[in-house]
Amino acid sequence: MTRPVTPLVKPPPSRRLFHRPPSRGRQVLLLLPALVPIVALVLATLSALGLQSLGLMPLVGRPRVSATAYTAVGADLLSATGLTLAIAAAATLLAVSVGLATALLVVSFTPLSRLVRLSAAATVTVPHLVGAAAVGLLVADSGVLPRVLGLSAQQWPNLVAGPFLVAVVLEYAWKEAAFVALVVGAALATRVAQYDETAALLGAGRLHRLRHVTLPLAAPSLVVAGTISFVYVVGSYEVAWLLGRTYPEPLPVLAYRLFSSADLAARPEAAAAALVTSLVATAVASVGLVAARRWRVHA
Amino acid sequence: MRPGPPARLLLVAWFLAPLAGMTLWAFADQWTAATVLPQDWGLRGWREALADGLPGALLRTVVLSSTVALLATPAGAMAARGLLRVGPRLRAAASVLLVVPVVLPPLTVVLGVDVLLLRLQIPAAVGVVAVLVVQALPYTTYVMWTTYQAYDEAYEDEARTLGASALRALLRVQLPLVAPGLGAASFLALLVGWSDYIVTLVVGGGRLVTLPVLVASNAAGTGNEPVVAALSVVAIVPPLVLLGAVGLLGRRGRRRAPTRSSVADTADTAQVAGVAS
Repeated sequence: MTRPVTPLVKPPPSRRLFHRPPSRGRQVLLLLPALVPIVALVLATLSALGLQSLGLMPLVGRPRVSATAYTAVGADLLSATGLTLAIAAAATLLAVSVGLATALLVVSFTPLSRLVRLSAAATVTVPHLVGAAAVGLLVADSGVLPRVLGLSAQQWPNLVAGPFLVAVVLEYAWKEAAFVALVVGAALATRVAQYDETAALLGAGRLHRLRHVTLPLAAPSLVVAGTISFVYVVGSYEVAWLLGRTYPEPLPVLAYRLFSSADLAARPEAAAAALVTSLVATAVASVGLVAARRWRVHA
Repeated sequence: MRPGPPARLLLVAWFLAPLAGMTLWAFADQWTAATVLPQDWGLRGWREALADGLPGALLRTVVLSSTVALLATPAGAMAARGLLRVGPRLRAAASVLLVVPVVLPPLTVVLGVDVLLLRLQIPAAVGVVAVLVVQALPYTTYVMWTTYQAYDEAYEDEARTLGASALRALLRVQLPLVAPGLGAASFLALLVGWSDYIVTLVVGGGRLVTLPVLVASNAAGTGNEPVVAALSVVAIVPPLVLLGAVGLLGRRGRRRAPTRSSVADTADTAQVAGVAS
């Protein structure tokens, strides 16, 4: 591989010998500090969970192959998967809508839009667990919101640990909307202004420009950001643990409860739940990847 | 079409409401039900947070997240440089591997490796750092990849041509030019360590009490809103300050960074390489 070199003075040939682009083999070495830990951890995780869930790595007793871990909690796994997908879908839908609106704002330059951008950026840095605590302090029946609205605890709907896990969905939507806004905003910032102006000069109305210029430009990054949010919510534990109910519980909460149960026989079941969680996350990520490819081709 | 001013205010409210509510609670000594504002303002929550081990938790969080950033940033930068130079097939394969930690939930990873770390007698803190570094690598690599895409290797080549050693060219030419990227990458890695709860909880075995662990144990109880709020404020402010600093650094870097088409300022490069003075 040769690279452009633009010296003012042509260097003496002897010097050039010391200054060759490094060989391909050495470039591969550059990848190792990142790839070796990733591969080691992924292999260790999947093999340990696979063996544990099939009864081949018991904490006590002799290893025996069995699928009882999967069948014993089969019904729970199924309902947990449904709930996990429902939470993630609701949160991602909300996050993508609010995030897109925010991104459209961020590319214009008014004082208020700068404030929107700063508040979204601030939200991205908040740890999810702290976000969950903050959302709890806001929407619980003793929270700030019912106080501001002048409602008593009895009049306020049961958002924390209530039937629809509203607080859980709100926390994810709040944090992920900020993430979506940053990603989509960055993608729009570079190009949207000039295309938008051209379309306006050619006589396109505001709705037309949104539909035919802005949204197609935003779509690929919107799909990517939405997929990352969805996958994150599928695998996330602490928000549903803090703001949700004990039953039904999403996959990660189920997995951790089984893992930390005093009954050591529940360990294979915990491993099964953890594996199902990562299967669901992988499936969602693959769908998102295919969708992102297709969008890019269309755009 | 863009949202008008009312929509803008609504969005600001959406993002700031949880933080505003938290700030109110952090300074409320007494706040009986169904009243809009606290009756008594004060530092009760802060005193209780201090008594509950806030300084130690803050210190552990700072050390843990800095360690993650210090390890994940150089590894990510090297991987990014490698990705841009290897062949297309290897690049595609490596890119897939680099996405895996984003897809694989942290909970799955820790439930998988927990027994393994115990059997291999790896210290809990080392295990926590290792898992978090792997979580951070996709982000640092991605940021450095975009940084190196915009980076003109000709500057380094000129420094080498003018007699700078490889190390000197790295330290005086390459690193200053990619500094904004390094800042952003280490900030993201720091956030991974700073925000983590479940890895610290499981692999740390409950003995590594960081800020999120402390917030969680308080938030799980009832009636201690001021403590939860005070701890949360401490968990939120340092990353915000850093974000501001990284933003400023990035802006200064962009202003200073020469573009690919601008004068390949050999005199400057030579001076940096230390041969023209």
